[in-house]
Amino acid sequence: MTHAPKLSPSRRSVFLCALLGFAVLARGAEAADPITIGAIEILSGPNAKYGFSIKNGFDLALEEVNRAGGVRGRPLAIAYEDTGGSKEQAINAARQLIARTKAPLLLGPTLSTEMFAVGPIANERKVPIIGTSTTANGVTAIGPYVFRTSLPEADVVPVTLRTAQAKFGVKKVAVLYGRDDAFTKSGYDVMKAALEKLGVETLATETFGAKDTDFSAQLTKIKSLDPDAVVMSALADAGAGILLAKEAQGFAPKVRFIGGNGLNSPKVLEIAGAAADGLLVGSPWFIGKTDAANQKFIADYKAKYGGEPDQFAAQAYDALHVAASAINAAKDVTGEAIRDALTKTKIVGVTGPLSFTPDRDPADSSGVLVLEVEHGAFKILD
Amino acid sequence: MLGQQIINGLVAGSAYALFALGLTLMFGVLGVVNLTYGFYFAVGAYLALLAAGAGAPIALALPLAAILAGLVAVVLDFLLLTRLRRTRAPELASLMVTLGATLFLYSAMSALLGSEIRRFPAGLLDNGAFALGAYRISVGQILIVGTAVLLSLGLVSLMGATRTGLAMRALAENSDASELMGVDTQAIMRRVSFLSGALGGAAGVLIGLEYNAIAPYMGEAMTLKGFAIIILGGLGNIGGALAAGLLVGVLEALTAGYVSSVYKEAVGFLLLVLTLWVRPQGLFGRPGARRA
Amino acid sequence: MAQIDDFLWTYQNLLASLGVNGLLALSMYVVLAIGQLSLGQAAFMGLGAYASALLTLKLDAPFPAVIAASMLVPAAVALVIGAPTLRLSGVYLALATVSLGEILRVVLVESDLTGGALGLSGIPEKAGLPLIFACLALALVAFTLICRSRIGRAMEAIREDEIAASASGIDLPAYKMAALVASAMLAGLAGALNAHISSFISPNEYGFDAAVTILSFALLGGIGSPFGPVIGAFILTLLPELLRPLHDYRLVVNGLIIVFAVLFMPHGLLVWPIGRIGAKA
Repeated sequence: MTHAPKLSPSRRSVFLCALLGFAVLARGAEAADPITIGAIEILSGPNAKYGFSIKNGFDLALEEVNRAGGVRGRPLAIAYEDTGGSKEQAINAARQLIARTKAPLLLGPTLSTEMFAVGPIANERKVPIIGTSTTANGVTAIGPYVFRTSLPEADVVPVTLRTAQAKFGVKKVAVLYGRDDAFTKSGYDVMKAALEKLGVETLATETFGAKDTDFSAQLTKIKSLDPDAVVMSALADAGAGILLAKEAQGFAPKVRFIGGNGLNSPKVLEIAGAAADGLLVGSPWFIGKTDAANQKFIADYKAKYGGEPDQFAAQAYDALHVAASAINAAKDVTGEAIRDALTKTKIVGVTGPLSFTPDRDPADSSGVLVLEVEHGAFKILD
Repeated sequence: MLGQQIINGLVAGSAYALFALGLTLMFGVLGVVNLTYGFYFAVGAYLALLAAGAGAPIALALPLAAILAGLVAVVLDFLLLTRLRRTRAPELASLMVTLGATLFLYSAMSALLGSEIRRFPAGLLDNGAFALGAYRISVGQILIVGTAVLLSLGLVSLMGATRTGLAMRALAENSDASELMGVDTQAIMRRVSFLSGALGGAAGVLIGLEYNAIAPYMGEAMTLKGFAIIILGGLGNIGGALAAGLLVGVLEALTAGYVSSVYKEAVGFLLLVLTLWVRPQGLFGRPGARRA
Repeated sequence: MAQIDDFLWTYQNLLASLGVNGLLALSMYVVLAIGQLSLGQAAFMGLGAYASALLTLKLDAPFPAVIAASMLVPAAVALVIGAPTLRLSGVYLALATVSLGEILRVVLVESDLTGGALGLSGIPEKAGLPLIFACLALALVAFTLICRSRIGRAMEAIREDEIAASASGIDLPAYKMAALVASAMLAGLAGALNAHISSFISPNEYGFDAAVTILSFALLGGIGSPFGPVIGAFILTLLPELLRPLHDYRLVVNGLIIVFAVLFMPHGLLVWPIGRIGAKA
């Protein structure tokens, strides 16, 4: 039996007072002009699901920031621009946010390929830009105004592979990756480097295309080489398809499948079902993390949006807190001042401690978790 | 591994052939490069998904989806091509119309249904696989190879041994002459549209089942490859389409197995370019066909 | 003045897209004008973009040489594709150019030189708006002159009836090949200009969807004169910007335009008779 939570009369009045307090605060804040920052995300088209996760994360953190008094005594606001996943739209969006909206700071864009087009523009105008989901190599090398809060694959993948080597004695592997997608290709580059560093032998490197649904030829070849594990860089759909196909080909259960960040998705479990059991993935964030900040984030997110947050929402949530903290600390509200403040910002977010390296990548990878699928659910491997 | 790769290739090749059958029939008889064919492929798969979701077994869902896809083909053919036939527009006009229509249909479909990959409910098809010595063949794979062979045989005998088939061949040779000879060309065209739409739909169901992935754009990649295959096989040549489909499938699997999976995708198109240079009537086509 | 600068900076990419898409529409126009169909315009554009970007990034070649190469590389490929297919009926060229796009994608994705799926980034901004619009204007003037000349009349004759044109002594293969090569060069130029103003290119920008979008530019404007396709490109580039909700349904609209244009208005949805004025004189 569960009971619907009921508020006792005294508690209810406290709740009411709190609400009134917020209302007063909110009105006070409204009097001042908001500081508007820009966000460039994919809010339409096939990849809109990522953009909306990120937007939800931003909006939730934005509410918290404004409830706590905003930034520099003024409310914070976000102006969103949609890219639809297109490079041209992303460039138009960035130029409008910088020149028309006069945003002193940009968040986004969603994809690394969009960042390669937008980053140089922000850099030219000395407006700091923070990617929250751009994991590819070379993103922050675009220029001194380009930051990211998403751990690059280069930080996540080695942890996963090291764990697999230590726990399951993986010595020889086959690699399978999506060749025509920037995210999966850059994941592969990292895997290759990490495998070499760990001294794991790579028996074969196979690829597939984004629209492929037939993986039988690649898997037949891999199976004939008898690897200890298959390391794959794939998005959720293709990854689940590969897991189903390896089941159909009768791979031994002891052959571990190890994925990058792209496979860290409930969708993989939903599609692949029992075939996903034994899958290992690395993740900068996990819904099952029990620390108080994370639990509060998940509860607030569910209350506001109804569904469960994913890692993109979590990373976006942290990024907005980073942005707010830097705007508060900056000596004025110009791009240059905010950039300087960002380099010194340190917060503890739901993905763990967050600060930037001199190259503007996230400094701390202690939040990385290795997850294993067991009976159709992710759990932390320990 | 060689044996298993050849099996993989034959299965993939049968899927290509299955797809190419309706395409080459449509081109052979109607003289139209009809790009909406890939749409019937996706429609078939989605209809079967709908039927299976409502609890229909595959033996019911497959023919139902095929028939409905055939009807969709008749309607689209009527809407898009009757006007062009009447005005005797050049064949490129019909290619462009169906190209535009395809773009419209695919985008509308993914706007309505979402572009995510859907899957058939588990257990629709027996998941078992037969072990043949060291090789594994699944029920789905046998279904695909079997259907491809049966349907090609059926089509060849329909074309060769029935009055409708005779009329189709007459239409393929010369539509004006066959009209004068008393063939009801409109009715025959409708039948051909229906038949190729149904073939496309059935291919969509079976291929969707085997690779367990259904998406609005599933027909697009297939159509591009399908055209490579029907040109290889000789435009309008049913046996040629079957042979070319199997050839491409096996070569792809062997490329992935022994060269690199990187080049797998390009195999069909490289073959096509080579064919156009060396033998433009197709590997199995009659010489001199379709010259300008 | 500051305001104009601000406006130009904000909308630089949009304005550049107008010019580049105008050039692409013209490249499609040349082929359509002799009754052929190429679905490889996006691939030719990609060839030009990658050839130019590589020359700039790896060899630091002078920009005029880069531009020249961006036109010569697709031209060479057009010769290879055109030689076998232009002898056959038009369908073969259309399908062969589709294959060209697919093969190019495989090569771009696979080669380390071209950066694979990650593409090439950090391309310096060497092509300004003045250069882009000068190219467009030059191409427009050239085509208008050609349209009014004997060559233009021959092209029209080929489009209306190949057999009759051939019978009256027009060298069909030469005309078709020239048109295809010119078209590939224009598309390559557009690709190079685009690469040198948007700083980043990747293989997925030059796929089948892009090829069909270029076709819809030309068909919306109609091929009665070279101005038609350019106006068509301008409209289809601006419309999604002005009507944001339309953005989601961009491809749906493009598809409908093609269907209606071919079925009901073979001379284009926009009637723009300039090219014809004087052509018959």
